[in-house]
Amino acid sequence: MSPITSEPRFTPSRRALLLGGAGFGALTLAGCGGFVNDDDGGGSGAESGSGAGGGTVSAYLSTEQNTGIEPLVEPFTADSGVELDITSVAVPDMNQQLAVQLSSGTAADIFRVSPGYSSNVAAGVLGSGGDLLDLSDAAWAASIDDGTRALSDVDGKTFAFPVARNSLVLAYNLAVFDELGLEPPTTWTELLDVCQALTDSGRTAISHGLSGGAIYLQFYVYILAGTLLYGPNPDLDAQMRAGETSFTDEPGWTEVFTKYLELRDKGYFTEGALGVSPDQAMQDLATGVAGMTVLTNSGLPALYEYSETGAEAFSILAMPAGDDAEATLMPTAPDFLAVNAAATNPDGARALLEFLAEPANVETYANALAVLPGLDVGAQVDNPALEPVLPLVDAGRTVSYANYLWPNGDVQQTMLQSGQQLYADEITIADLLAQMDAEYAKGTP
Amino acid sequence: MTSAVTTATSPRTTGPTPSGRKGRLTPGGVPYALLLPAFVLYAMVVLYPTLSGAVYAFTDWTGRADGTKFVGWANFAEIFSDVAARSALRNSLVIAVSVTVVQTLVGLALALALHTSLVTRNVLRTLFFAPALLPPVIIAFLWTFILTPQGPLNTVLRGLGLDFLAQNWLGDSSLALWTVIGVVIWQSAGLTMVIYLAGLQGIPTELNESAALDGASWWQRTRLVTVPLLIPATTVAMSLTLISSLKLFDQVFAMTGGGPGYATETLSVIMYKEAFVSGRFGYSTAIALVLTMIVFAFTMVQLGALRRFDVDR
Repeated sequence: MSPITSEPRFTPSRRALLLGGAGFGALTLAGCGGFVNDDDGGGSGAESGSGAGGGTVSAYLSTEQNTGIEPLVEPFTADSGVELDITSVAVPDMNQQLAVQLSSGTAADIFRVSPGYSSNVAAGVLGSGGDLLDLSDAAWAASIDDGTRALSDVDGKTFAFPVARNSLVLAYNLAVFDELGLEPPTTWTELLDVCQALTDSGRTAISHGLSGGAIYLQFYVYILAGTLLYGPNPDLDAQMRAGETSFTDEPGWTEVFTKYLELRDKGYFTEGALGVSPDQAMQDLATGVAGMTVLTNSGLPALYEYSETGAEAFSILAMPAGDDAEATLMPTAPDFLAVNAAATNPDGARALLEFLAEPANVETYANALAVLPGLDVGAQVDNPALEPVLPLVDAGRTVSYANYLWPNGDVQQTMLQSGQQLYADEITIADLLAQMDAEYAKGTP
Repeated sequence: MTSAVTTATSPRTTGPTPSGRKGRLTPGGVPYALLLPAFVLYAMVVLYPTLSGAVYAFTDWTGRADGTKFVGWANFAEIFSDVAARSALRNSLVIAVSVTVVQTLVGLALALALHTSLVTRNVLRTLFFAPALLPPVIIAFLWTFILTPQGPLNTVLRGLGLDFLAQNWLGDSSLALWTVIGVVIWQSAGLTMVIYLAGLQGIPTELNESAALDGASWWQRTRLVTVPLLIPATTVAMSLTLISSLKLFDQVFAMTGGGPGYATETLSVIMYKEAFVSGRFGYSTAIALVLTMIVFAFTMVQLGALRRFDVDR
């Protein structure tokens, strides 16, 4: 899909300024004085150098990325002579600030971008808009697997570096499973049986917190869609972009939401999930109030914090969506870094990516976060937390998050927000799918 | 064709200054000169961003530097055609009216109750005012914890045998908006109380004493003497409350994120989401402009209405 760039553009004129003047007093009254970026994670500063042999590279990372890169900072500086000036924030905050920073020329040299077209600061959106440096000639670009390449490239040019991969997993409380004699489910029917056993024991089967942004709703959709839709039909995104099918027309999407609501209707989710925070849901699992929950594997360290026994209290599995255990696919997501097209120290930023692409450093990063390696360079993950799902990774039984090749972030946003209404039975599945189709039709901004 | 050219010049611009010293500040110009630095700062920080914001309301600005297109009134048309925006507009108005009315009444009641010689009055005033001193986000997180389905409030209600009152306060779309309104009033009623206490202290005690001597009861004195003389305080309290409740953002965003669904979204919340989540800064700015107009209109109407009830002392 090509972004819309060919229409005539508008430059604010004197007339427009006069028009705006009519409202300035009122705007002042309401305290809406325009958009001011108060984030301090901006440019690389005057001390930045211009080559890999020195200077400073400013980096605007997610908190997880910062944790992963931390053990590599000093070795990188010792190796290259380049200093790193890192600012780290939570991903939602980063997504909200990065566009403004790019617009105002205060963005860092290197920063996190979302995969594909999944937000307004995704690799596809920024890459096609000329905001990112073309990294196609980097040596590591050849080590990107095909699934990830679809999310990092635009028109054959590579704009993002996969620093790691996350996966969506079903985490369960080992003590609860042991107490009830439960086995990890491998099919949908087994999952329902386990849920029923947990419910019969007086526990919440799957802790589910949907208050706030309802971000956990999307995890179920991507898990179910991965196995039910993208497994049988890897070309689904291309067909949707070509207008050959849609959320409404593709029966699999209705099945995805039907199965999600089945878990609700059978009483397997946390009671009053719409008023429960994701943190509370995680605590319920950690304390044995609930037996299972869905999360990304990068969220495991946070889950461990809620338990006295830490990582030993839990295990993970790929959540089944159908009754063929061998057909279960696990959604994975690349975690990207990209270089600012207007970077003060582009050579230093490139040098950092080359350093991170070395197999030993890929391993270090992945093990620090209990995530999967981002590049196919033979790096081995030795984190025991990932052992249950590594066979799926090794067998290639992974699939991207469904939303990554949707043309804009509003499709997902609509799914999350209207999805709360679906959960509350205020709208139907058909209503939700129609709303998502409408957002999809708006294309890439 | 010839044209007459007026060559007359103003003596003020060509003659000597009143002080007789050209280039010196006149006494009348001193205040303006003193204001100049502040005005320059104000223009840079407020006026220019505000003006540019108003301009961008007529564009499809995405927050990125390139390719901004003039779209005329399309953003404004979308506000009134988009279901979510209309819902947010309705929620903002419901919040504004209900918070303004209830908070004013609660604040007035608290002020009247504590404008006494009670020994504990200062302690009570502090207790009621304390929530207004805390950041709204802190209050929101506190209440989010209290109001969860298995949280302290429902636990207490169930413990008292009032199970039927236990609710999913923030997860039920028919309740969530009113729950947020309740929290906002809980936090801000103390501020209204303080405004009314200041107003009460400005009322001459002789008036109430005279009324008492004439046989007026407490209720009659309150209704016919005190409340009319509190109109200036009411104007201040209601104006501040109306403006802040129309712009309500912090508590909603922290407690519900605008959900469940769109049940608690306000204009400020969708303004934020459109800008920082969807990257539609032009549309978001249009929402800001509409919100500003609404605030302005409501405030003017309210001030005009309250002025009619004002009395001379």
